[in-house]
Amino acid sequence: MPGKLTLGYPSARTLRKSLPLVVLAVVVVALIALPLYSSAHASAFSINNSLQNAASLGLLALGVGLTMIIGEFDLSSLGVYAIGGMIAVKYGADFPVMGMLLALALAVVVGGVQGWIIARTEISSVPLTLGGYIILLGASHLVSNSQTLAYANYDVGMWLDGIFGFVLSPRIAIVLGIFVLTAAFMGWTQLGREIRAVGGDRRASRASGVQVDRIIVGIFIASAFLSALGGALFALSSAAAKPDLGLSPFIFAVTAVLLGGVSLAGGRGGAMGIVVGVVSLSLLETLFSLLGTPIYMVNVIRGALLLVVVVIEAPDLRRALITVRRAKSA
Amino acid sequence: MAQDGEAFQLNRGRPMTIAAVGAVVILVAAAAATTPGFISIQNFRAILAATTFVGLIAVGMTVIMISGSFVSMSLGTMATITAIFFIYALKFGIAGAILSTLLLGGVLGLVQGFLIGAWDANPIIVTIAAGALMEGVSVALTGGQALSPPDNNYAFLNTTPCGIPVGTFVLLLLVAVVEFLLRRTRLGREVYMLGESRAAARAASLSLGEVGCWVFMLAGFSAALAGIFLASFNHGASLLLNRGTLNYDAIAATLIGGTAIVGGRGSVWRTLLGVILIATITNLVLLRGYSFGAQIFFKGVIMAVFVIVIHLRSQRGR
Repeated sequence: MPGKLTLGYPSARTLRKSLPLVVLAVVVVALIALPLYSSAHASAFSINNSLQNAASLGLLALGVGLTMIIGEFDLSSLGVYAIGGMIAVKYGADFPVMGMLLALALAVVVGGVQGWIIARTEISSVPLTLGGYIILLGASHLVSNSQTLAYANYDVGMWLDGIFGFVLSPRIAIVLGIFVLTAAFMGWTQLGREIRAVGGDRRASRASGVQVDRIIVGIFIASAFLSALGGALFALSSAAAKPDLGLSPFIFAVTAVLLGGVSLAGGRGGAMGIVVGVVSLSLLETLFSLLGTPIYMVNVIRGALLLVVVVIEAPDLRRALITVRRAKSA
Repeated sequence: MAQDGEAFQLNRGRPMTIAAVGAVVILVAAAAATTPGFISIQNFRAILAATTFVGLIAVGMTVIMISGSFVSMSLGTMATITAIFFIYALKFGIAGAILSTLLLGGVLGLVQGFLIGAWDANPIIVTIAAGALMEGVSVALTGGQALSPPDNNYAFLNTTPCGIPVGTFVLLLLVAVVEFLLRRTRLGREVYMLGESRAAARAASLSLGEVGCWVFMLAGFSAALAGIFLASFNHGASLLLNRGTLNYDAIAATLIGGTAIVGGRGSVWRTLLGVILIATITNLVLLRGYSFGAQIFFKGVIMAVFVIVIHLRSQRGR
């Protein structure tokens, strides 16, 4: 891939802009053309399945993406995703809404505390949220006694995943709604513009009167809230909660966010890009499952894809390419 | 990433860290004194064994942290992968197995180090991705089965000359060698410089890619050493070896040792003290019958507290 990049790519920016749509287009074409190269074909059911999978992870991706847009990185979101599902299952046996609210309340506290510490001390968010992730992982084991909890109230999951309009379900609709609201908020409100400005240049936005600290705290709360909601929806619809989901939900989320054009440096990208990233990634996973790709192969591809998108994002790769280009034209 | 000029005012905020370490040591000592079964030769051996695995990985973690790349999320996985490879390679003889395992660890580290060092790719994400990739490949190659050794030619790795495990000697040797590399060689100075400020290191025309490769190759070696001892200690290897908290323990130990998470400061022998503390805490928590969850929870709290304390210390020094 470095070789490909040096051979006459117009610019990193064009690459970033076109990457999400190119990936989506390639995956869709591959799905449609599926019968041409295998005995499988994509049905409305498999598309619905794919979007169900995308829905819960999509909220995690949105949370991670929002912190990236302000130039931070929230590793703890993965822990919130796990414990959110755990709490929703454990305390929502009789009243699902109750468990959900508890999970969300915990998330607001976790996000608030971390955001406050980051805003106040200007500590790097990576190590702090890594600590937060491990604390939450421990808490999740404590809450569940290291067991996988089953959720007896199947009706909730059935309702959440009930198909309507060919490929939709309440779960998908909820998540899609949140994405649209977030996109509208980021695009059309003053606060949305300020959030992006904080990621672009924090000092300058502080100087021009933006309430930077409040925005940081708010974004971390939002990130935790979305992750907990995603985790709860996932656990309720699969009627089970595991104390440790491993790193794979995070790998999905970060890949989707980077595919969707959000920059690790902050200030760039938005909810619509993330949606495109999430949908293309989950369609890609559907493609693999239709083809019967073994799970370890899927893991290899997931890891490789994340490596590719993070290397494209690497600041000094661009610097190196510019040097190469200059040397050529000189 | 690192704050400029911080190195010149190293000592001002130190009391805070010492206070934090002191508090932990007192707590641990008090817990140790009141825990039945803690003070026994057998238990100290168990602590030493735990120290070895975490310690070997923590040496690599420390070098990575000093170089400004935060942490690697894949060193625990690399230890597991190299452990599996070591058991497989035993059929070529013990010397061949050890050398080729070290080579594998070095190469796996080197690739990640190049992406991170030369191109400044995000170290957390690169190492997470590399971990998933390596795990997938190892399942593809082994079919996810546990491997058993073909021979017991590795038995000497489990011996305890003078009552101390071979692994502990290797750990001490590794600490001495890496400390020497960091303090007394040009590479060492460049690692600190890169961690202090990437921009300054570039301005001084260091080869950032080269330094990054060395750092992660060293970490790869240390993970491979951990893998070798993990495999021989368990008389076999599978991906399940990584189900514990090796990687997080190594990160916590490095932080307790006072290494700055943003880079530029830290030492390997102080990490060793952190490792002993972490191993003792793990041991106490187990002896007192706390659950796995409580164990992880405590470590997370310690990690978060140390990250904040060390950060405040570096700010106060400015």
